[in-house]
Amino acid sequence: MAAPEVHHLFHHPIADHAFTADHKTLAVARENTVELYGKVGNAFKLQDELKAHDKTVTSVDIAPNSGRIVSCSQVTDRNAFVWEPTPEGYKPTLVLLRINRAATFVRWAPSETKFAVGSGDRAIAVCYFEDENNWWVSKHLKKPIRSTVTTVAWHPNSVLLAAGSADAHARVFSSFIKGVDPKPAPGVWGERLPFNTVCGEYLNNSAGWVHSVAFSPSGDALAFAAHDSSITVVYPSGPDQPPKAIISINTQLLPFMSLIWNGEAEIIAAGYDCEAFRFKGGAQGWQLSGTLESKGRPGLGDAREESALNMFRQMDLKGKVKDDTQLKTVHQNTITTLRAYETSGESVSKFSTSGVDGRVVIWHT
Amino acid sequence: MSIIQQHTSASLSESWRTINIDALTEDSSLNFDTSSLHPPLPETSESEVRQLANQVRQLLRGGDTEGALRGCLESPVYNGNDLAKEAHLQTVIEVLQSIKASEMTPMLQRIYSTPGGSECLDALMKYLYKGMGASSAQGGGSAPRTPTRVTPQQTGFSQAGGRPHAANESTGAAMSVLLSWHEKVVEVAGLGCIGRTMTDWRKV
Repeated sequence: MAAPEVHHLFHHPIADHAFTADHKTLAVARENTVELYGKVGNAFKLQDELKAHDKTVTSVDIAPNSGRIVSCSQVTDRNAFVWEPTPEGYKPTLVLLRINRAATFVRWAPSETKFAVGSGDRAIAVCYFEDENNWWVSKHLKKPIRSTVTTVAWHPNSVLLAAGSADAHARVFSSFIKGVDPKPAPGVWGERLPFNTVCGEYLNNSAGWVHSVAFSPSGDALAFAAHDSSITVVYPSGPDQPPKAIISINTQLLPFMSLIWNGEAEIIAAGYDCEAFRFKGGAQGWQLSGTLESKGRPGLGDAREESALNMFRQMDLKGKVKDDTQLKTVHQNTITTLRAYETSGESVSKFSTSGVDGRVVIWHT
Repeated sequence: MSIIQQHTSASLSESWRTINIDALTEDSSLNFDTSSLHPPLPETSESEVRQLANQVRQLLRGGDTEGALRGCLESPVYNGNDLAKEAHLQTVIEVLQSIKASEMTPMLQRIYSTPGGSECLDALMKYLYKGMGASSAQGGGSAPRTPTRVTPQQTGFSQAGGRPHAANESTGAAMSVLLSWHEKVVEVAGLGCIGRTMTDWRKV
């Protein structure tokens, strides 16, 4: 396994990160701005700052084909901005979300004609562009959400939307918008799918609030990670029927903040343990198969520590032999976002992580 | 003029600040039905708990401590009255106290590696915390640890509760048993087990 590519951007938490399709530009949400980093040689250099939000930016996403960036932020601002790439730089367009609480999470639909914003207002705003008014419009998914929506994820058909919430449920909704979406083919989640159809509502036994949701590449299975240190995978069997299987894996680890599928038989998840873990399985069962952190990795001061001089210096200065202020993992704090970086077909060959330590790391699967 | 007077009489007192506006909003989180956060749970009566306690004691007398521990962890009392819950806690503590320190880790590892074992250890962790809470409350005297309702007039910090400094020897011994079990359970089931004790709405 090749060594991960580490970019330490700054000493500040990264709320969310996204790459452009060509991997030349990296957008990160840092405090009230979205910072754009351009690839110069092997490093990322600050190129542009998108300033429009007046509160902490909570999430950012880049549409791979159009290059449009969407960002959302916390209270008093509560709005989203779509940033259109133009020769003169990115031009913001305000999107009124009509919510009374913070916007927590935003993702473009694969079709790039819609995006969904989760919020503390117990609602998801599904936004689409109305040509006749030249304006982004939002429609709310409200029922039966009973608490803050912490995360959303799109089905490949751009109609179904999965959402995780602080009420410990992961749900699948239809976000079908007439005139924007082509009629979706019937599938395991439902046949007729008008807006706000609840296609599934799932909860595991220990009921942690949900941090992350993801559809499998085929869209026929849903995985979610919750604060009870578990991941749960749901295999639906058809409309109005109980699912074929719901598999919950309670781990010994700290909770996972983000997860992605790698094909139909592998899930990669990362969170408060500051490292990424691999799960393997299928409809018969899932299990934790190990960490993606390569053990005995050189660097990060390990070599420095072995010199005798340094050992005695440590003992003299700090009264201890080993410098234990650094974690053995690449990330030095919680990983908050995990994204596919390079895919071939349904499998992910590289993925990127960002976290509270201000690092963006690109890993080989 | 008259408007100002009305205003002063109504707003000079600060009681309006303590109105709980969330309680007045129908779909607020305060009116959240927490029973939606766990699957439906079968109700356990006190007599069933006593019956189980007798079976567990029989296993203990027969020397099958692992069977006894498993027996009480596989049927935790999630839905039952306080007496039933309290009785089951006593059964669990009785079993825990009768297991030797050297047997703890291997026994937990054996339970964890069987199907449903992780669930058993999660239940054990819940009983450990409940047990610690119960014995510290006994030692802390009769003062309530948390005031049930904070009245608007109260501004400072109250000294209610406090440390169980007057704990007698038997609660101290019970506590040390629970603490050493806690350490061993975390070694086997990890920190995730503590997290689940907090998130889980199936309370023991």
